[in-house]
Amino acid sequence: MIDYTEKIRETARRLLEKGEVEVFIGYRKGSVPMMNEPALIRSPEEANQLHWDSNCGLNLCNYLTKRTEKIGIIANGCNSRNMVTHIVENQIRREQLYVVGIPCKGMIDHRAVRRAVNHREILDIREDDETLTVRGTDFDESLGKRDFLQSNCRICAHHNPVIYDEMVAEPIEENGGVEPYKDVEKIEQMTPQRKWGFFTRMISHCIRCYACRNACPLCYCPTCFTDESRPQWVGKSSDPTDTMTFHILRAYHCAGRCTDCGACERVCPVGISMRQFTKKLNKDVQEFFSWEAGLDLQQRPPLDVYRPDDYNDFIK
Amino acid sequence: MKGLLEHIGIESGRLHFSWVSSAEATKFVEVAQSIAAEVKALGPAKYLIKKRAEVA
Amino acid sequence: MNDWQPIITTFLCHWCSYGAADLAGVSRLQYPPNFRIIRVPCSGRVSPKFILAAFRHGSDGIWVSG
Repeated sequence: MIDYTEKIRETARRLLEKGEVEVFIGYRKGSVPMMNEPALIRSPEEANQLHWDSNCGLNLCNYLTKRTEKIGIIANGCNSRNMVTHIVENQIRREQLYVVGIPCKGMIDHRAVRRAVNHREILDIREDDETLTVRGTDFDESLGKRDFLQSNCRICAHHNPVIYDEMVAEPIEENGGVEPYKDVEKIEQMTPQRKWGFFTRMISHCIRCYACRNACPLCYCPTCFTDESRPQWVGKSSDPTDTMTFHILRAYHCAGRCTDCGACERVCPVGISMRQFTKKLNKDVQEFFSWEAGLDLQQRPPLDVYRPDDYNDFIK
Repeated sequence: MKGLLEHIGIESGRLHFSWVSSAEATKFVEVAQSIAAEVKALGPAKYLIKKRAEVA
Repeated sequence: MNDWQPIITTFLCHWCSYGAADLAGVSRLQYPPNFRIIRVPCSGRVSPKFILAAFRHGSDGIWVSG
């Protein structure tokens, strides 16, 4: 991980010095442990701020939408898939990007780490390949990194970037034989009443802060449906019906586009696993259209093309 | 659409899609009858109804 | 509650199903009275928002037909 950081800084410095890119987008250490923040680096001197470890779970594609300059950007598997989605949706041109690929080993779930130390305040966290060392004022614990991966990283099948101009390290081996949709299948077995109960309970803490929307690289509409008032599709209070409507529509807007990067869950202040909504849709597009978002620059997404053999069993 | 709504617990029998040409009045009637019967069998909708604000 | 009648919000395409409904009427074909028909220029106009909005306003069922 440390060698990635050095390599990233070096690359950023080189690109900025040569003037190949005007801005380099990466991460820097946040002010709180486990909260790395995106950083836009504009001069070679600033390149030392760049950092990479297992807390870079925010999606950098948010910072690409409609930019006009030449951009250097670091990309792990899911970030690069979102870049492809952005390019396909004409939010950025491929020529503008210089993609520095990172073989990603998964991000850690900061909530799980907090739970593991009984919510005592964490002052410092260090990691090597296998372990995390968490330090606070009165404790010092070692945790196995594998057990604290984000739930989406555990089922990730695309650790290596899909598009890149340069890699900071050799691609790593992909997970074989992951079963990404086990939890979705479990919910599918439930009766409608139980499903409704499950999801109502799940979103009952939602405070409608829209952090999930803001962290999502797909949510770049100039006016979000939640902000529309004529007609008002969804109320602004935390009324359960409004909250459910918001979550259903938010998920639906991601259909066939979501790369399961987990940014939404990571930023949720109350820890809702809203990936349960988007995952179902991912499973459906996979089943009906054999489609996974962000893998191919040439192909149009399934929901904006018509093919005579499209799935239409639901139509009478 | 149907997939997700069903997934979160809205009975699939509540949402229907169909193709009926303007010349197919008989098909229209058939589909209408089957849908009405299906929704009737499910009973009143319980979920996702926005309650009117109690304080006005 | 045997006499309960569901309300089914129905989105009909102007060119297809609305025509079919019209023809059914002209031909004196009987069909259930539960439908509240909204004519749209094309069934492609119906967005998921409409469907959720209809459920939110208390429809028991929704039918989109093109």
